[in-house]
Amino acid sequence: MNHPEWIAAYRRAGASRRLLTCVALLLAVASAAAAPPEKVALVGARIIPVVGPDVDRGTLLIEHGRIAAIGKDVKIPYDAMEVDVSGKVLFPGMIDPHSWRGLDQPNESLPVMPYLDVYDATDPSRLFFENALRDGITTVHVVQGNDCVIGGVTRVVRPIGLSLAEMTVAERVGIKLSTSPKRGFDRMLQMATLREAFLELDDYLERLAEQKYEEKLSKKEKKIDVGPKEARQRGRELIEPSDYDDAHANLVQLTRGQIDAWIYAGAATDVAPAIKIARDHGFLERTVLVLGPECFKAVDDIKASGRPVVLDDELVYRERDPLTGKLTETFVPKVFADAGVKFALQPSPDASLPERYLNYQAARCVREGLSRDAALRSITMNPAEAIGLGDRLGSLEVGKTANVVVLSGDPLNFNSWVEYVYIDGIRAYDRSKDPRLAELLGEEPEGEKKPPAEGEKEKKAEEDPAAKPDAAGNGKDATQGDASGGKSQGEKPGEKKDAPPGVRRPAHRDGAEGGE
Amino acid sequence: MTSRGDLNVECRMSNVECTTRWLMTTIALTVASGVTATPARAADPAGTAYRVGKVVTMDAADTVINNAVVLERDGKIEKVGRAPEVDIPSDYRIVDMPDHWLTPGFVDAHNHTAGSLRDLNDMVYLTNPGLRTLETIVPESELVKQGRAGGVTTVLLIPGSGTNLSGFGTLSKMGGESVDQMVVKSPGSLKIAQAGNPERYWFRVGRTFMNYNTRQTLEKARDYHLKWEAYEQQPDRADEPEYDPIWHEFRGLFRRDFPVSVHTQIYQVMMTTIDMLTVRLGLRTVLDHCTFDGYKIAPLVNETDAYTINGPRQYHFDRTERRMNGNAARWWQGGVRTLGINTDAPVVPEEELPYQAAMACWYGWKPYEALRGLTIIPAEALMLEKDVGSIEVGKQADFGLWTGDPIDPRSACELTVIGGKAVYDASKERRF
Repeated sequence: MNHPEWIAAYRRAGASRRLLTCVALLLAVASAAAAPPEKVALVGARIIPVVGPDVDRGTLLIEHGRIAAIGKDVKIPYDAMEVDVSGKVLFPGMIDPHSWRGLDQPNESLPVMPYLDVYDATDPSRLFFENALRDGITTVHVVQGNDCVIGGVTRVVRPIGLSLAEMTVAERVGIKLSTSPKRGFDRMLQMATLREAFLELDDYLERLAEQKYEEKLSKKEKKIDVGPKEARQRGRELIEPSDYDDAHANLVQLTRGQIDAWIYAGAATDVAPAIKIARDHGFLERTVLVLGPECFKAVDDIKASGRPVVLDDELVYRERDPLTGKLTETFVPKVFADAGVKFALQPSPDASLPERYLNYQAARCVREGLSRDAALRSITMNPAEAIGLGDRLGSLEVGKTANVVVLSGDPLNFNSWVEYVYIDGIRAYDRSKDPRLAELLGEEPEGEKKPPAEGEKEKKAEEDPAAKPDAAGNGKDATQGDASGGKSQGEKPGEKKDAPPGVRRPAHRDGAEGGE
Repeated sequence: MTSRGDLNVECRMSNVECTTRWLMTTIALTVASGVTATPARAADPAGTAYRVGKVVTMDAADTVINNAVVLERDGKIEKVGRAPEVDIPSDYRIVDMPDHWLTPGFVDAHNHTAGSLRDLNDMVYLTNPGLRTLETIVPESELVKQGRAGGVTTVLLIPGSGTNLSGFGTLSKMGGESVDQMVVKSPGSLKIAQAGNPERYWFRVGRTFMNYNTRQTLEKARDYHLKWEAYEQQPDRADEPEYDPIWHEFRGLFRRDFPVSVHTQIYQVMMTTIDMLTVRLGLRTVLDHCTFDGYKIAPLVNETDAYTINGPRQYHFDRTERRMNGNAARWWQGGVRTLGINTDAPVVPEEELPYQAAMACWYGWKPYEALRGLTIIPAEALMLEKDVGSIEVGKQADFGLWTGDPIDPRSACELTVIGGKAVYDASKERRF
């Protein structure tokens, strides 16, 4: 039972092992720290800035993760990397305004849990985040699910990064509330629990104020000299932010307007209570309503409240008359658009439905008669404003974060591919280096790309109700030219799993998304 | 004395190998009786000399000595060297095993069998500060005897993972007639379990709550520690803080006197472990299990001083890559060098610790590194490297004598020594 070979080997290994270790570590560090190019010029594409007129054959210049210039005659700095994207379309990175899909589970079981933070359960290795890149989504607002009375605080992340620190765009953006009954609750219990939470908060703050006043006096070795009401009044100014306990700290911020309210109303009847509770506790101005499909019936109330809304991924509301059996279908976004309410669309949490694509959802809006502008805004600018980042995200404008999707055609043409995704100026996704997509489609990646068979193309077009002539920009054929950065010609699929330079994201978790 | 018939009944090997073993045993017994016959036996020997074929020392220079002698005196290693260079004092007992390998006793950083299994986990709350496994230790239990028959000499007995914080672990030897004789250090670690088992608590809890709850429990403990620390530094400035038995043992944790043992696996959970415990709370961290796709977190682990003690699951089938991954091998490829192996006994029997390492090697790890992962690495992880984990002068005489390389599953442990005492001797009471 001797092993002369490896015994000899490990005796030799004494010195060389350590050397190898050092080399391996250096390599690991070097590859992780490979910085993205500071300046990138995307040249020759049709630019859809969403907030202004399109630019044909324009140039978009990215400097240090921000958009530095857009236009036809942009002077490209000598040190910028030029990427030829002629024939393609530049579109702002789409924004998922409301999703629990980055979490291990949508909700915890207790009804009132404002002390939670999605920080503790967001998983960078979820397939959801990788798919977001593939779908052209560059920003995800991670919010707990609707099965709660008060849920935890939310966080805006980008779908790249090995850890939450790397992913985070904005933390503590909002807090989740729901006026629709949580599982096992009816509406009365739901609202009673919600009211009680805020009443308890008031009571807690009163007691805290009294306690602070008492503490102040005891430091001077005095006894309390006024009645409780006056003591509470005097103690109020003595409270410091660090005095609040976990159970109340976030609610205090909510009622002071330091954090947004994301209130879910699943049915029309839940809308008025949502607006009321927000108004009663002074945070209506910082409220976003997350609506179920039926809520279009309360559009007047919503309009009067002046609040932005996030619509359900089910865009059509169907109702059958119980007596006549007549089916009425309402296209929900149309109602809100007609009423002049600012709305954002959210993708379906079910990855197997086409509703998962935000541009598909927007295209359906156009089909149902909304303006192209309203449809495009509903997946870019409106969600950016809803998450409070309208000044940084949601459009292609100078000074904004360089979150850019390079599409092979018009965003509302469902035949268009997401070719590249830039996040903060980092090329986070490159379709030619997407081995999973290549495997699914039976395509040879990069360099050996074949146009899809004619039959397949027609089939795809049939399936796609959004492929309208007016919405279609450059067709699929325009994509067949080699417009890549030309960096990785001839790589084998197996070698392409590495993310582009500058991108740190874990290979996604295998297996079903729901469980371990 | 064992008869040949008895051996056959117990032996799980082929007849041929059984016969070989029987022959070996007979020879060993003859040698042993020869030893008994020496006059040194009459007056207690001053020490013991182990004459062996090979000593794998696991020291910093990776020294391997062939045809070596290890001298033991007063439970410590007195001398290690090549046979011709070591003079064996005349009053030393000689254990002559010239075909055998002598390796450091194995250290298992994740064990439940040194204590009673009935007291594995008091699942009172999701976090249970104040509990400790010291109270559950059972000396000379059948499981302890079984474990040391696999060359395991030191274990960290920790509570189960049914709750997020289940109590303090105890560093314990696998030999000793009493609790006092067994225990090396208490608390030996704080046990924390993240996700997985604790999710089954009550009506199922998720990670938002579990991580919040664990963090705020530890922050309470840290605040208690800081209050005391401030007082100790400047006793005149403030009143003595109130003593609280629930939190007092946590002080050692924040002083980094002992590590936190974390039941952690899966990417997101390991990410939270590193972020919450290692980075934010600054705890000395031993990552236990580290299975499933946890190895993908290696770049973040490499930024810290955490130890990665992998097991008992040695492989992971990645459904998207459609291939088997050896967990230890992938951690190694990810640049993790403080990598060890555990059993989580009784999930995997304690005596199969080297077999776990063998599996890790079958899936692509390296045998020598695996042997380090059973000895010096877990010893360092548990902060015992001054006493155990390698065959060096002055360290405790904890070792196993094997018929060959312990990482080779065909090898058997013939003699286990703890503190100079033979706690398992196959020639007297063969277990396998």
